[in-house]
Amino acid sequence: MVFNIHDDSLITLSTTYKTFLFDNDFQSLLPEIFLITAGIFLVVYGVIFSTSKDKNYPLLLTNISWLSLLACVFTFLLLVNSPVQNALLFYNTLVIDDFTTFIKGLILFSTFCCIFMSLDYIKQESLNAFETIILLVLSTCGMLFLVSSADFISLYLAIEAQSLCFYVVAALKRNSEFSTEAGLKYFLLGAFSSGLLLFGCSLIYGFTGVTNFSELGRIFTGGTQEILTSTTALPACELGMVFLLVGFLFKITAVPFHMWSPDVYEGAPTPITAFFLIVPKAALFGVFLRIFFESFYDFILPWQKILLVSSIGSMILGSVAALSQTRIKRLLAYSSIGHVGYLLAGFACGTIEGIQALMIYLFVYVFMNINMFAFLLCGMRREHLQTVPRMKYISDLAYLAKTNPILALTFTITMFSMAGIPPLAGFYSKAYLFFAAMSSNLYVLAIIGVLCSVLSCFYYIRLVKIMYFEGPKNWCSFTRVPLENAITLAITLFFILFFMLYPTPLHLITHKIALTLCL
Amino acid sequence: MSLISTLLFLPLVGVFILLFVPNWKIQFIRRIALNTSLLTFLISLLLWIEFDSGTARFQFLETFTGSNSTSGFSFSSFNFLFGVDGISLFFIILTTFLIPICILVSWTSIQAYVKEYCIAFLILESFMIAVFSVLDLLLFYVFFESVLIPMFVIIGVWGSRERKIRAAYQFFLYTLLGSVFMLLAILLIYFQTGTTDLEILYCSNFSETRQIFLWLAFFASFAVKVPMVPVHIWLPEAHVEAPTAGSVILAGILLKLGTYGFLRFSIPLFPFATFYFTPLIYTMSVIAIIYTSLTTLRQIDLKKIIAYSSVAHMNFVTLGLFSLNTQGIEGSILLMLSHGLVSPALFLCVGFLYDRHKTRLLRYYAGCGRTMPLFALLFVFFTMANMSLPGTSSFIGEFLVLTGTYQNNSFVAFLAATGMVLGAAYALWLCNRLVYGVIKPHFINEWSDVTRREFWMLVPFVVSIIWMGVYPEPFLDVLHCSVSNLISHGM
Repeated sequence: MVFNIHDDSLITLSTTYKTFLFDNDFQSLLPEIFLITAGIFLVVYGVIFSTSKDKNYPLLLTNISWLSLLACVFTFLLLVNSPVQNALLFYNTLVIDDFTTFIKGLILFSTFCCIFMSLDYIKQESLNAFETIILLVLSTCGMLFLVSSADFISLYLAIEAQSLCFYVVAALKRNSEFSTEAGLKYFLLGAFSSGLLLFGCSLIYGFTGVTNFSELGRIFTGGTQEILTSTTALPACELGMVFLLVGFLFKITAVPFHMWSPDVYEGAPTPITAFFLIVPKAALFGVFLRIFFESFYDFILPWQKILLVSSIGSMILGSVAALSQTRIKRLLAYSSIGHVGYLLAGFACGTIEGIQALMIYLFVYVFMNINMFAFLLCGMRREHLQTVPRMKYISDLAYLAKTNPILALTFTITMFSMAGIPPLAGFYSKAYLFFAAMSSNLYVLAIIGVLCSVLSCFYYIRLVKIMYFEGPKNWCSFTRVPLENAITLAITLFFILFFMLYPTPLHLITHKIALTLCL
Repeated sequence: MSLISTLLFLPLVGVFILLFVPNWKIQFIRRIALNTSLLTFLISLLLWIEFDSGTARFQFLETFTGSNSTSGFSFSSFNFLFGVDGISLFFIILTTFLIPICILVSWTSIQAYVKEYCIAFLILESFMIAVFSVLDLLLFYVFFESVLIPMFVIIGVWGSRERKIRAAYQFFLYTLLGSVFMLLAILLIYFQTGTTDLEILYCSNFSETRQIFLWLAFFASFAVKVPMVPVHIWLPEAHVEAPTAGSVILAGILLKLGTYGFLRFSIPLFPFATFYFTPLIYTMSVIAIIYTSLTTLRQIDLKKIIAYSSVAHMNFVTLGLFSLNTQGIEGSILLMLSHGLVSPALFLCVGFLYDRHKTRLLRYYAGCGRTMPLFALLFVFFTMANMSLPGTSSFIGEFLVLTGTYQNNSFVAFLAATGMVLGAAYALWLCNRLVYGVIKPHFINEWSDVTRREFWMLVPFVVSIIWMGVYPEPFLDVLHCSVSNLISHGM
């Protein structure tokens, strides 16, 4: 008796959620709603208590960081346990499917790690602005919306929501010239690229009268007679698509539009750099994959060409320019440009394998970079200066193998993984990417990619070399690794080391989501 | 647990134990590492005893795939398939034989980072056993490359001079650059056939143009490892800078990876391209044999001399492999094994000298025969084995290689035979300078002969070299089925 009722309710649940009613929409957006509410609650909480004279004006940063970590965890749980896995929400404005769930999970995970590993840094540097963390959480929320947007309007709004948060946090250290400069540069170029994006959207809207991704796809595929026979409409849409693409390449710092990224990444405080470097890539790739595979699949020839050029350029620049860097964050910026090149290679394949390779690469990229930054965010002490400066130059790594061998070993393994040396996770992702490129007949891309990955070995191994074999120019030692960083380092290192033994789950999940996107 | 998986995991068990031993218990760490590797060696001998030499199939098959091994898409879960046939059996035994020696040789000379040293060697052992026994193309690549990381560390950390970093770099990047093309080739094969399982690939065919490209891509990787002549530069550098044990592994096993790759992959998978490129291999090998033999004559660094002579011997091996007849291939396998004994033994000898006098330059040494008679005896024996004196193992190998080559192309055999003369030239020259002559007392003023540990370390080499040289039947018996199967399959 009891079982029957239970079963019935399950059946009704699964059938009614497929409708377009708004009340169910709100339920299926529960993760985002929760995260926004949490953000607002944290703002109010922070403002009230940090200005409270009774409490003696407490510094709430750590407190709020932990609370926002908690918020991320709850959002993740809500996301994973959501009863609705596939839906179109709010009159086709937002979409939920396996693809978005995967990317959202990745975003939440990386946000969690970014905040978690910067806890100690923030405390040491006394960056006492609790808004920063809340802005990061809100930008994450923007990214969650970005991933599930199915319409140009929601796409643009979500991109702006996350970018605005980013502009603010990039200029976080007001007393540092670099940080303000980084904020300014990021704002100008970000706003410019958003303008390009918006112009692309408006061109497409102007010539088709549609802003929805799937309807756009339907127009281009089947098409009304006016559009397919008109001499201006299709080229104009193509132009709009190119503008969209340029905006996208700007945002992910791919090659012809990368010039702002090394400055911004270097100038911004390290936790913010980590966030910029790791989190938004997943969201941007997610939504633009959807656009290009759903709406513009008939324009595959032009966009594939542009992406190929950009991808090859990024790979080459990423490996060549990083060779001559002396500052570690700049080096990482160029290395991330190189990684973006590999990601774009997966995108440019335009096949299911391509998407799958991209997703695997993205996943591994996130883990490797979290590991990197968990290392960079460890406290470091320079003996004779009496201050706690951060690691700035790669020569600061010298002698780490003596002062902290385990940390050095961790870093070495990550570097080998980033360079794509076999038993590590980085190799698997690259190999699968090259496989995807070859299976869509992009042999030149695969060969260039392989050569660039060898070239990039030079500078990754150079870091190892400095750590193990070079005497220090100025003595500096790491203080004790904070617990949070140690945990993050351990988990990600475990993943990097032993991923190869059992890659099946990730492989199956990415295969599934690639199918979700394509079918 | 079958034998193979025991062999694969036993060194890792040793590593696991070592991780929990505190750093300062140096002697204890060394004991554990030595015992683990000796145990592995004994088990690998068991492999030989249990081996059925009457069949060419892979034996001791072991798969680590889970329940979904039958699912079509094997990229998701690699085919962890291991097995041994006549060709790979001896390489595994050679590996397990050399690792205890590596740990023994550094018993006193390595004092820094002992634990890391032992761990690096045990991991290396596990990887190398995996390389020789894995039956999956992609996993072969994975292990083939994985060897780089411990080797990079071994050369870089425990190498002797400042130049070691450059050497480690060169070693790493040369090999990597060569082998990424092999990765692309493997992916292409996987894309075409849908599998990387070796036994299935043996039954599949590739078009002739594609075979040529694939062969070249594999060649790019193996030629660096062998090493063939234009890309052999990394080898003398790496050898000179590596610690003694590193040189032992480099000469004993890592050089065999390239030739093993030719034997296992290039020849049976791409028979057409193998025929097509045989002249290329012949030319390159002959150039390498003559050129490196001549180069050896003007080296003054003891390790460089042996390193260059290794290049010459390994090119004999490629010559034999591509003669594509039973004598040639069996001879080259025997030559690989023999070189895997002789060259490490010589490196050990040089290592003993270096431990005593901290120099490897030939001009400081003379007259070892007076001061270190036992050492001189052993050194002369190994040098004679290096120039393939009849009665030693190298002779059997080189003789069979030359016979095989002669059947195919007598002119090449003639040119290669001059290599034997040149080999005798540099070996005798080296012996003459090092062992005989007047002692130079203002350079070398302390004398001590080989210690007991060092002597007993070299004795197994002597025994096995003579055994292989006088009675090679047990080795050839095991090889015969697999090799003739390889030839009949390929042609």
